[in-house]
Amino acid sequence: MIRSFLAIAYNGFREARRNRVTLVLAFFAGLLLLSSSLITDITVATFDRVLIDIGLGGMGIILVLLAVFLSTGLLSREIERRTIFMVVSKPVSRALFLVARLAGNMLTLTILQVLMGALLLLEFWVLRTPVTWPTVLAMGMLWFELLLLSSVGFLMSSFTGQMTSAFVTVSMFFVGHLSGDIYTFAQRSKNEALRALGKTLYYLLPNLERLNLRGPASYGIVVPAREWLVSGLYAVAYSAVLTCLAVFTFRRRDFR
Amino acid sequence: MTTPPIELHGLSKTYRLGFFLSRRVRALENLDMVIEPGQVYGLLGPNGAGKSTTIKIVMNLVQASSGTARLFGRSPTDTEARRQVGFVPENPAPYEYLTGREFVELAAHLGGVPRAEVRKRSLEVLESVGMGRAADLQIRRYSKGMIQRVALAQGVVHRPPLLILDEPTSGLDPVGRRMVRDFILEERRRGTTVLFCTHIIPDVEALCDRVAVLVNGRRVREGRVADLLTAGTPQMEMVLEGLSEAQVRGLGRTLDEVQVLESRLLVRCSDAEAQRLLAQVLQAGGRVSSLEPARFSLEDLFLQAMSEARQGAVGGEIL
Repeated sequence: MIRSFLAIAYNGFREARRNRVTLVLAFFAGLLLLSSSLITDITVATFDRVLIDIGLGGMGIILVLLAVFLSTGLLSREIERRTIFMVVSKPVSRALFLVARLAGNMLTLTILQVLMGALLLLEFWVLRTPVTWPTVLAMGMLWFELLLLSSVGFLMSSFTGQMTSAFVTVSMFFVGHLSGDIYTFAQRSKNEALRALGKTLYYLLPNLERLNLRGPASYGIVVPAREWLVSGLYAVAYSAVLTCLAVFTFRRRDFR
Repeated sequence: MTTPPIELHGLSKTYRLGFFLSRRVRALENLDMVIEPGQVYGLLGPNGAGKSTTIKIVMNLVQASSGTARLFGRSPTDTEARRQVGFVPENPAPYEYLTGREFVELAAHLGGVPRAEVRKRSLEVLESVGMGRAADLQIRRYSKGMIQRVALAQGVVHRPPLLILDEPTSGLDPVGRRMVRDFILEERRRGTTVLFCTHIIPDVEALCDRVAVLVNGRRVREGRVADLLTAGTPQMEMVLEGLSEAQVRGLGRTLDEVQVLESRLLVRCSDAEAQRLLAQVLQAGGRVSSLEPARFSLEDLFLQAMSEARQGAVGGEIL
């Protein structure tokens, strides 16, 4: 079972590695990180802050786009092209297949994130910007955001097509960053039902803002360990629930 | 007693279609089938007859609405049951970013081939389907025939005792079809049980021990190919010379068909009538230049079964 899991996960990584879109995005990442050094030429007093902002922001956008593309595109395409017929008909459970596919995606994202992070730190070193713990932590918490978004993408791909999956996952990214605002606005309402709805949505939707430590990083604010540890656990638990739902749906799906 | 590789009892499948899943199409209805070890079994039928649905249920790609399917006595959802099966789907679409060798190696890992043997076994099977030289090319560069060969290789890399092929010769050129047929014959020689579905009748006639004809999701014929063909040869075919059509018809025999072929007549009638007609033709001064059983092909059987079942309509039944 472990061998099948590793074979499928590694194949997912290999697929992404040989996919030209991944290369284009990786190239774009390098370009964006380098361009941040040019932009900082026009700043004086806030040089380090702008560099950290642009570096972490660029990395975040590219990896989120990649997570959406990988989680919603590859599995859907595999189902649409019926490549999946030759894999799930093997002595492999559908649950194992799905989780291994997710693991393959996360392996790809992790490797790209590590490479992009190394590129960013190299840039910091070259430009003599101090590497602080909040910056490293913000990079680490981005991984949990990618895990959560990938789980949303996989859940959607388990029962619907690529376009719908991508639309919902991207929407979930925006809504996830705004769920706190939804709660705040709803609580200001005088309508009881609206307040209850806002509260329900707040607890139901993923709160991606608690995984976003880019703001504190650019100001060098140290986030207490308990806070980011709980946030990390929250992301893992939320992803686990989504993956269980994806497995539940996927196991019942007919591949026509 | 050996457990049959495949047993289907009362198998039915109704697909629900449309946004609200309100449209229902019955793809398979109450199918019973047992495939014994070592048999080459053909599922024959027009498009939409339920052949692929049957195979997909057996391979756990589709869930039956009712009835049971057994693979070596186990449920198709059991991964250990599927370990004993090699499967090649219709129009296979392997991961095109992999090379043929990488794809077969992936199949070997998933099929449980011992790790130390994966590379060797993969190259062996690729060689056996004529893909040894192209094994390290990416699949995206392969022709349809080459993809089919790789698909066959991944199906047998773990040496399964049961091979299931969905339309294995569909869309292939004569060379590709010949290769697939030889491949099936070779597997039969090794004792592998083979189930394959097709609508290409000569393939069934050339390869199968038994055949089931499916029309509209129902099994309308089943049996040994030889028996089905023998049972369907009630006619004799005679070629007569020296008599006109009117003279032959005037002999008072019940003739199924009379065709004028320049100076000769081609007559089809039952075996009993043929014996009497033979004597009468000779007595009337005619000549019989040939007398043989009219060939009743599987195609005739297939068309007969289709017309009996649904008057030529195709596709699953919309409920």
